[in-house]
Amino acid sequence: MSETTIITTENLNLWYGENNAVIDVTMQIPDRRVTALIGPSGCGKSTLIRCFNRMNDLVSSCRITGMIEFHGNNIYARDADPVEIRRKIGMVFQKPNPFPKSVYENVAYGPRIHGVKDKKKLDEIVERSLRNAALWDEVKDRLADSAMGLSGGQQQRLCIARTLAVEPEVILMDEPCSALDPIATSKIEVLIDDLKKKYCVIIVTHNMQQAARVSDYTGFMYIGKLIEFGDTTQIFEHPREELTENYITGRFG
Amino acid sequence: MKARGGPTGEDPSPDSFPNPPPAVPAEAGPVKDHSAARRSGRETGIRAVWFLCALFAVITIFFIFGFLLFDAYPVFEEIGVWNFLSGPVWNPTGEPPAYGIYPLIIATLLATFLAMAIAIPLGIGSAIYIAELAPYRVKAWVKPAVELLAGIPSVVFGFFGLVVLTTWIRVSFDVPTGETWLAGSILLAIMALPTIISVSEDAISSAPREYKEGSLALGATHWQTISRVLTPAALSGITAAIILGIGRAAGETMAVLMVTGNAPVIPDPIWDVLSPIRTLTGTLGIEMGEVPVGSTHYHALFGVAVVLLVISLIINFSATIILNRIRRQQAPPASACVPKQVPETGWRDRAGLFFREHRMPITWGLVAIALFAFLGLTGLGIALALYLAVRYIPGRISPRWAQRIAFTLAALCIVGVMLALGIILFDILAKGLPYVTWEFLTKPPSDLGRAGGILPAIVGTMYLVLGSIAIALPIGIGAAIYLTEYTREGRLVGIIRTATDLLNGTPSIVFGLFGFAFLVIYLSFGVSLIAGQITLALMVLPTIIRTTEEALKTIPVPVREGSLALGASKWQTIRRVVLPPSVPGILTGTILSIGRVAGETAPILFTAVIFSTRFLPSSLFEPVMALPYHLYILATNVPGATGQQYATAVVLLGLVIAFYAIAIVIRHRSSVKHRW
Repeated sequence: MSETTIITTENLNLWYGENNAVIDVTMQIPDRRVTALIGPSGCGKSTLIRCFNRMNDLVSSCRITGMIEFHGNNIYARDADPVEIRRKIGMVFQKPNPFPKSVYENVAYGPRIHGVKDKKKLDEIVERSLRNAALWDEVKDRLADSAMGLSGGQQQRLCIARTLAVEPEVILMDEPCSALDPIATSKIEVLIDDLKKKYCVIIVTHNMQQAARVSDYTGFMYIGKLIEFGDTTQIFEHPREELTENYITGRFG
Repeated sequence: MKARGGPTGEDPSPDSFPNPPPAVPAEAGPVKDHSAARRSGRETGIRAVWFLCALFAVITIFFIFGFLLFDAYPVFEEIGVWNFLSGPVWNPTGEPPAYGIYPLIIATLLATFLAMAIAIPLGIGSAIYIAELAPYRVKAWVKPAVELLAGIPSVVFGFFGLVVLTTWIRVSFDVPTGETWLAGSILLAIMALPTIISVSEDAISSAPREYKEGSLALGATHWQTISRVLTPAALSGITAAIILGIGRAAGETMAVLMVTGNAPVIPDPIWDVLSPIRTLTGTLGIEMGEVPVGSTHYHALFGVAVVLLVISLIINFSATIILNRIRRQQAPPASACVPKQVPETGWRDRAGLFFREHRMPITWGLVAIALFAFLGLTGLGIALALYLAVRYIPGRISPRWAQRIAFTLAALCIVGVMLALGIILFDILAKGLPYVTWEFLTKPPSDLGRAGGILPAIVGTMYLVLGSIAIALPIGIGAAIYLTEYTREGRLVGIIRTATDLLNGTPSIVFGLFGFAFLVIYLSFGVSLIAGQITLALMVLPTIIRTTEEALKTIPVPVREGSLALGASKWQTIRRVVLPPSVPGILTGTILSIGRVAGETAPILFTAVIFSTRFLPSSLFEPVMALPYHLYILATNVPGATGQQYATAVVLLGLVIAFYAIAIVIRHRSSVKHRW
């Protein structure tokens, strides 16, 4: 399988007011692979991932310079439409955030806002998305129940199904397992492995074992800078930078 | 954006995804661009509509302030601000007329002070009881009861005070008349209690549970935990509650007007609570209806309104600042994950920077403190003394006994409050219900309301409610959507929000004055239904904006992000994800506003009502009868109509309580349904 680059960043800088939270990040993210971002708390990895689908637009004090290209188009160009970008670059958040609607309506929400009205088609999309998120068997009898009644792990997989339903090309995951127990976590990890056959997955994680388990590429960030980026095996076994090595071997927190 | 073409073509048809066709119909590139353009046009249009709503709300607010100042200016020019404020005699109809409002200001302060001396201990005690001690079942009854107390129209309080309270004072203190400072303050205390109780209770309940658990885990008694951990943690919330209570008391018109005797004198000696007094609000309520338009007296009354406005502004400002500070402390900053870099600068720079960053709060804080010292300090002093008493005296008693005493006192507070509510309701229902007959509800009044019924008043009140809500609801909701969803917290939004808060606490009589001067006189609507509707709409607009904003804000940011991350547009997100779960909250706010509109007297006193008519209004430009005004006139000007008075009070009370009950039920339902 040949690798194509789907997202490129060049000298990306981000400020929250006076705080330079992301500094000079240049990287290339391959399609149909899992890319993990690791690093200590507050190092800017969540901030970076939120740049990829312009979720940082919602933060008022936020300012960005540099470039992020998606299929060669700058997503921060003046005529770029953030709504269109987010349709193609979906996101799963740290805490499951289902809408206060039924399970069915949660998944159907995306297709509906993008103009799918046909009931049969919606049923089809909902079922397929839930199956692909490995949730169908657990919820098929309670599609009309409120999503708020699902367990944390189920809610998170519902959020993934919801993202899949709009058929994005990239799925951003911001510490998707940090609020889940080990069993739910392993289910999601299996799912991520499955997803990369069709999607580019970028995952932010605190958990280095998780990064090692699920990702093909890993980037290590420290105080806003991307210290090292490369093949996951290489990063974990032969890190080039001393900082990376210290972090991976647990010599600082 | 380039439409997805290339990558989809290279799809190696993955085996684990059995359904290759994409979920969203793959539109051709140009079609997509076209729909995107249309969508963004619609988004801009929708945004513009909400912006206009917000703009209207803001302009109105500043317009009211400006108009009152404009009409008050001649008196300041003619008499001088200082003479106006410090003149010892208020006698506008005397020869020569005297326009000194010093006795009125003192009376307002005295009435407020005594009311707070009664209400603060009772309120805080009750709040502690409800937040910490009440068993679940008791709480489920007591909280709505307190809210019910807040819903009773002021004119009903006034009526009760006039027929029961003043009589009681006259007999038990053996004085010639019971219409005194004491009577006014007792009523004001009862009216301020719900505010003090709910806001304090909120503050105590929202103190982090870890505090309580931490303290209990150290072996502290429940009372020690309450008095040394929870109450201090909630102190700023309680302070805000007290200030809001002061605002409520200082701005009240009808109840005070009906029971204080209205003699513009300073009690002699100053602590003579059995002396009659006349407050700023009372003066407006009595004299505004009879003053020749454009005379010095007329302008002097606007001067009184401005003074009242300034007092209420300062009170509200202090409360707003304190509450905002609490909110900021509770919410982590947006960039919490990024360590804040402190620039290396000298202390001078840092102090300057600090002042520049917080100029508004500091300036107004100083102003607020000045008034605080004058008005609130005494009230706070009492609260502090009580607090110190419960904190230090028990040091000499065993903790278990201290707890027993304190809990008994707290329970007594709530019993006292419930007793007040019970007595008022019982007295009015017992004496009024027998007179509420079918005929009373369906016939027009005759013989100055001594016979016949009150149908025109019921219909008039309905018209006023419907009209004002129809005006205020769309504008209020639109403004709230704009403020919460489309703006970032900048200076402009700050100004708008502050202005709304201030308008929210403005005494209702001030709206009445504005409606009279602007709608009735300047626009020559005359005393009419439409003038009353607009005046009431302006009065409830801030409440609707505020409650809608609160309702929208309870929808967590991650839920909005979830929708946006799926490629939903702003308006799609608002309409499908944010608005539906906020409907109960918005509805509650609206219904509370309806209750308030139905019960208010002061704003319609000079704008919309007449006492007696046999007919229903046939156009918007005719005056109407209204229930609260009818009760006011029956109670104060028509001897020998006791039965009709009580019956009118029952109908008014029933109407307002029905609205409140609906609101409480809706809110209860929705709070059970949605847990984020």
